[in-house]
Amino acid sequence: MLRHSLLRTIALVSIALAATYVQAQSSAPRTADAAQRQLASLLREPFPGPARAQAPPSFYGPESLYQYIDGGADIYLLYDFKGLLHQDFKSGSAELTVDIYQMDQTEDAFGIYAAERSPTYKFVSIGGEGYRDKGVFNFLQDHYYVKLSGSGANVDGLLDQFARLLSERIGGVRTLPALLVKLPREHRVPHSEQYVRKDPLGHAFLAPAYVVAYAQGKQESKLVVSVANNPQEAKSRVEQLTKHFQQSGECASAPELGEGGIRAKNNYEGRMIARTQGRYVIALLNPQENGAEILKTVARSLP
Amino acid sequence: MSDQGSWNRREFIVKPILWAGTASVFAKADLLLASPTRDTSASPILQRILGKTGLTLPVVSMGVMNADVPGLLRRAYELGIRHFDTAAGYQNGRNEEMVGQVIKEMGVRDKVVISTKQPSGSRSQNAAAAKKQFVEKVDGSLRRLQMDHVDILYHHAVDSAEDAQAEGPLEALQSLKKDGKTRFIGISTHKTVDVLSEAIRLGLFDVGLVMLNYTMAHDAGILSTIEKAANSGMGIIAMKTQAGGTVRPDAKLPKELPAASQTALLKWALNHEFITTAIPGFSTYEHLEQDFSVARNLAYTHEEERFLADKTFASKAEFCQQCGECRKDCPKQVDIPVLMRSHMYAVQYQNIGMARDMLASRAPGRGLEACAACESCHVTCRNTVQIGRKIEQLKALPVSQLLT
Repeated sequence: MLRHSLLRTIALVSIALAATYVQAQSSAPRTADAAQRQLASLLREPFPGPARAQAPPSFYGPESLYQYIDGGADIYLLYDFKGLLHQDFKSGSAELTVDIYQMDQTEDAFGIYAAERSPTYKFVSIGGEGYRDKGVFNFLQDHYYVKLSGSGANVDGLLDQFARLLSERIGGVRTLPALLVKLPREHRVPHSEQYVRKDPLGHAFLAPAYVVAYAQGKQESKLVVSVANNPQEAKSRVEQLTKHFQQSGECASAPELGEGGIRAKNNYEGRMIARTQGRYVIALLNPQENGAEILKTVARSLP
Repeated sequence: MSDQGSWNRREFIVKPILWAGTASVFAKADLLLASPTRDTSASPILQRILGKTGLTLPVVSMGVMNADVPGLLRRAYELGIRHFDTAAGYQNGRNEEMVGQVIKEMGVRDKVVISTKQPSGSRSQNAAAAKKQFVEKVDGSLRRLQMDHVDILYHHAVDSAEDAQAEGPLEALQSLKKDGKTRFIGISTHKTVDVLSEAIRLGLFDVGLVMLNYTMAHDAGILSTIEKAANSGMGIIAMKTQAGGTVRPDAKLPKELPAASQTALLKWALNHEFITTAIPGFSTYEHLEQDFSVARNLAYTHEEERFLADKTFASKAEFCQQCGECRKDCPKQVDIPVLMRSHMYAVQYQNIGMARDMLASRAPGRGLEACAACESCHVTCRNTVQIGRKIEQLKALPVSQLLT
């Protein structure tokens, strides 16, 4: 009986392993197709306007994105770009281009969206955030970055309609990354938040990091929350920061700032104070008088 | 040069070294003593004149495209960089804003050379509308830069001879120059042979911004076209010198190459005497210092020589050596080297015109159409080019449809 039970167990495990193997073998080729289908489902008829598609949609993957946006592709790849659906429409005399970028995670979509947005744009309430200008409507929602552009009579109304329709179909997360909520709101420059995957503040070892601008009067500071994998790595990042400033200017230990605290400066970056909090490095470039307090406040809010 | 019109490996290593020696003589650097430990910080910064513009530039400049850190520009200026290149399209105009703000804060506008770029508008526009839109957009750039003029204004990302001669942007560029909103006009392109050849013919551009990097070492067409442009009086500035962006030879090529690779690649480009300066797009202080070190000494270190001579990079780049050994293994006798070259033009250089011409040049029945008879290609390359994969990619490109 025991033997029978054992054989049955072995058989079941073998079947499970085989199924997993088959799934793994077939998932790769299906992944790209699945991404295309997912994107295509967002841009299905009926269209607002009513707009008519000028041609079938084009799909671009990581290896072919440069064929569409040339050197601009690199930054999208940096943010784990997965696929792009591109299609042109016409409605009356208005022409419209729809580009829906699918990124890997919501942070990635935010990262690329924020890299291209300026605090001076006209922002609208849609998805996680969006902005519009004459002939342009871009927004971020879940792991998608949607870019709409057009020209011709009444195009702004058409852009709006397409944006709302796509937002409804995308669904999902309609907020900015959670960590940003934990950062101080007072004196924050609106819409200045960034998620930087590469070389935050010119230092590769700080990546990835959230960067937010604060302004009091004419002076602007930059708050950086560098996300390491663990506290040891965070400590190593501060050590590298220390070494950089020691070589280029000055750097001194500042235990009053908290764990691993340093005060540093050089001619071209200005002043910096920094500390660790668990797996995070919190740094303030060109801090105001209350910089130390800001570091502590941020440290308290982080997990 | 080889019969097929491309340099062999010995030429592309030796020739630049000879040029490096010449450059070193002019820089009073001693090629024979060049070594990785030699401190060149006291050596003068190498400078060259940009064509007929009369502008003298250090051989290393800054492509600001990848940087949104004001400190990097300040440090770049501190080190000795005097030319900063941006464009209206970088970060939706924010890049220009940053450049303008930093230059203003440093108070060094009269000491630097600023370039920006503007692409054409829609092709459906008539010339007058295209000119008007171009001028308006350049006015936008000047506002963002907080400047009343730039030093070089490029027609951005021109990808065909037809676009190079487009009336609207051409008239706009000339009128902007006449009005003093730009001192010089240029053309930037990834389709070097077609576009630069047209620019030479037009005789209107003061500067050409072109790709030049190690992956083009075997391409005599590109190299000779650039040289011809320089000889015509155009100042030539090199971009993509470290094979990044659209000319990354292959997506699987690792981004993090050996440290010596970056300076080796930059030196290789700058050791072409027809290049005035390069605009590497560094985004860290470390890379800035590393790249700018090249501006004081173009002689290769031993590590750099080893990198350039090492087949690993070239093989991972899947650079077809045009040896022709693969032909005999093909059951259809397809002219595979021609297909590989066509793939390079179409995929790496995005020059569909060149790719089409290349495909059209093969003997009948020896081209891509013959590949249709085989379900997949099993010919192997002695230099690890993935022939089958590249043929499939070629079949999927518009160029192949134009031939059927």
